[in-house]
Amino acid sequence: MSVPRGEIFGFLGPNGAGKTTAIKLFLGLAHPTSGQASILGAPPSDLDMRRRVGYLPELFRFQDWLTAREVLELHCTLASVARARRRTAIDDVLELVGLRERGDDRVASYSKGMQQRLGLGVALVAEPEIVFLDEPTSALDPLGRREVRDVLRAVKSRGATVFLNSHLLSEVEQVCDRVAIIDRGRVVGGGDLADLLGRSTRVRIRLAEASPDAAAIAARFGRVEQIGALTLLVDGIADAKTPDLVRALAAAGARILAVAGETPTLEERFLNLLAEPDDAAADNR
Amino acid sequence: MPLLIIARLTLFELVRRRVVGAVAALTAICVGLTGWAFYKLHEFSLAHSSAAAGGGEEAMANAMQVILLAHMFGMVLAVGGAFLAAPSIASDIESGIALAILPRPLRRRDVVLGRFLGLAVAIGAYVFITGALEFSVIHAITGYAPPHPAAALAYISSGAVVLLALGIAGSTRFSPIAVGIVCVALYGVAWIAQVADAVATAYHNGAIRTACTIVSLIVPTGGLWRGAIFSLEPTLMVAASAQLTVNPITVTSPPTHAYLIWTALWVAGMLVAAIASFERRDV
Repeated sequence: MSVPRGEIFGFLGPNGAGKTTAIKLFLGLAHPTSGQASILGAPPSDLDMRRRVGYLPELFRFQDWLTAREVLELHCTLASVARARRRTAIDDVLELVGLRERGDDRVASYSKGMQQRLGLGVALVAEPEIVFLDEPTSALDPLGRREVRDVLRAVKSRGATVFLNSHLLSEVEQVCDRVAIIDRGRVVGGGDLADLLGRSTRVRIRLAEASPDAAAIAARFGRVEQIGALTLLVDGIADAKTPDLVRALAAAGARILAVAGETPTLEERFLNLLAEPDDAAADNR
Repeated sequence: MPLLIIARLTLFELVRRRVVGAVAALTAICVGLTGWAFYKLHEFSLAHSSAAAGGGEEAMANAMQVILLAHMFGMVLAVGGAFLAAPSIASDIESGIALAILPRPLRRRDVVLGRFLGLAVAIGAYVFITGALEFSVIHAITGYAPPHPAAALAYISSGAVVLLALGIAGSTRFSPIAVGIVCVALYGVAWIAQVADAVATAYHNGAIRTACTIVSLIVPTGGLWRGAIFSLEPTLMVAASAQLTVNPITVTSPPTHAYLIWTALWVAGMLVAAIASFERRDV
């Protein structure tokens, strides 16, 4: 799996698939039993690389006896942000995550959502070239989620890469350029988001009268779900193959009343990929 | 330098969490109470001492009081060191603070050594400030000063640093409560071994003495305790101690140079073990 620079990359998978573990492996927080990772062209243990990386963990806490400004100052110091630039960087990031007014308050007084905003600020304060965000909106209300989406787009606009680990597929669908879907530690699908959704259309066929062979013929083009005697739902068929399906049905004597193409949502595509048997999933790796 | 950043953060945490304030208040109360006790002792001595005994009797009484005080101080310090060290790494891992810090450009050894340095500086500063205050108060009231106060304080703080290193090493793998209990238990074993050694010496029991020597090598706080007591004993008391058959409170000789070198190596080894353990651990 590789992630191109300057994109927002969605990393998806069911609970326990290994999303958080993968990020921990990339950042040297966990040790791999096999395989290797390279971030910005360097191994996870490379300190210079880590200066250029930001990370928002899923389950984390900051030192609650510090103020938000002090937390950000600490991370600026650790990331070797120039002393002259720190104040501006901290002010800017507090503004960005909506904590400007609460920057001098102790973290202990923050709500969960505010702590997540601060976590996003910490991940971004050193202007990283790549930022790993593990469920960055899980504690936020809808307004907060929209703000985070705007922040991610702003990060992308300055050329940085965003590695977004999320199970909120609607969020991913709105901001990501590419995705990878993993299950039980293996990539089972992914690629360009538009392609992923576009190339896996679904066709709904309504027949004028029941045809005994129609379902079998349609099964050659995709997964078939028969709804009543007169409707077939053919899933996973490419756009270009739809005319061939119609032709094959007509040749078999089926009387077609209507053909309607449908684009599945990312959630449907996600569920389909996870439902595929292992050999089918392997083709997507 | 990341190590110094972590050390400074550790010291700052002690201030912000009001550890420093609470300890300062308790110390002020303790110094006040002991000062009052020494004053009463001095007053009693002035009223009842015979001309023949002169000031020697009071000096011995004061020396014994100071030694008992050092016992209490050393124990509180060692237990305090253990309880400061026990959560130092473990609670950062449990709470998720480590997840935010470790991806930054710092080595895990910076975290271990920074924590150790910060806590060691805090303990050392506390020992020397409190010790200097206590000795000054005693001297002002009674005119008595122990023979080697700085050496005594160095031994006492070294004992706490030994438990600090042990606590930090344990903290990289085990929960704070488990580490705290183990450290205090080992400190108690080491202390009892020193007392048992004195008894075994009096009764010429080689097996017990060997066992006590092994314990003092495994947990070198007992030997440092001997050094602290010896530094506080006037020459007269050392001579008197040598005459006693069984003497678990005072000592007749300081720890050897070899023992001190072993203790330094022990602390270094414990820190190396802590670093190795933390570096191998998934966070």
